[in-house]
Amino acid sequence: MRVAKLTGQAVALAAVAGLLGLLVWRLTHRPKPPTIGGPAPNFVAKSLDGGSFSLASVRGKPVVINFWASWCGPCKTEAAELEKQWQRFRGKGVVFLGIDYNDPTGDARRFLAHHGVTYRTLLDGSGSIGDRYGLTGVPETYFVDRNGRIVGEHILGPITTPRWSDAFARGVQAALDS
Amino acid sequence: MILRFAAVVVAALVVAGPAAATCAHPKTSLSYLEGQIMCPTCHTTLDQSDAPAAQRIKVFIQHRIDQCASADQIRAELVTNFGAGILAAPTHKGFDLLAWWLPIVGVIAGAGVLAVGVWRWSRTRDGDADRGPPDLDAADEQRLDELLAKLD
Repeated sequence: MRVAKLTGQAVALAAVAGLLGLLVWRLTHRPKPPTIGGPAPNFVAKSLDGGSFSLASVRGKPVVINFWASWCGPCKTEAAELEKQWQRFRGKGVVFLGIDYNDPTGDARRFLAHHGVTYRTLLDGSGSIGDRYGLTGVPETYFVDRNGRIVGEHILGPITTPRWSDAFARGVQAALDS
Repeated sequence: MILRFAAVVVAALVVAGPAAATCAHPKTSLSYLEGQIMCPTCHTTLDQSDAPAAQRIKVFIQHRIDQCASADQIRAELVTNFGAGILAAPTHKGFDLLAWWLPIVGVIAGAGVLAVGVWRWSRTRDGDADRGPPDLDAADEQRLDELLAKLD
């Protein structure tokens, strides 16, 4: 009887310890938004035109990462400007990545066709890439230098507004200068 | 003659076009699925959300219902697009089954532990009753005798 009692207590204790461990693990493994100067979180994502794409595959090139969604009004506002910037900087080796966040793929295709976006679009239907980048909403834009570090300013709105258009120009330049 | 035929064809298309776009016998409904699908940006079910992302997903679901897609098909397409987190409840297969069975196992185990506890407690009480009151030691017995003597 005593053995059964001790076994029961051990099982209960192990269960509580397990749950506590899970809680601690969850709290300590929360994604932290990348910091300016810190490494850009790597990701592998499905490309809208098929195949998969890894951020690590463009190491050595300046990268602009723009999170967007077709249901997002400000994303429509900046779409043409982003395409314009892509056309402007692609000759200098800058890679533009559009990350379609929490969006039906069909809507994304229509959005891109409507706004004439031609740079690479990656799918983040589950929002996991956005979570790793500490996204607070869309659109948001990050700049990654040739060494894979976040540079410039984390843009928290459409790049067409006066505040963020300057930050965008500085961000691309910072990524190019590295 | 050709013009008349073309006019008939155009008229038929105008009448039949919208009808063809809508499923005559839908296999599910938006209201049925709304409570089962999460809004990915606001983390509530679609029926409790008016967020832009939720609205787009509702449009997608309605569009698929209009194409006669079943609830299972629509759920599967949403999972492909958004991941399993888009479902409000875990699926009934694989590892997700644990989420359904663990609470049931927990309740049964809890009831078992309670039953054993009650059974052991009742047995202890029965044992106590069989044993009767505890024997008094010599000192208490002497005090009791003295008290009883006073009462006489």
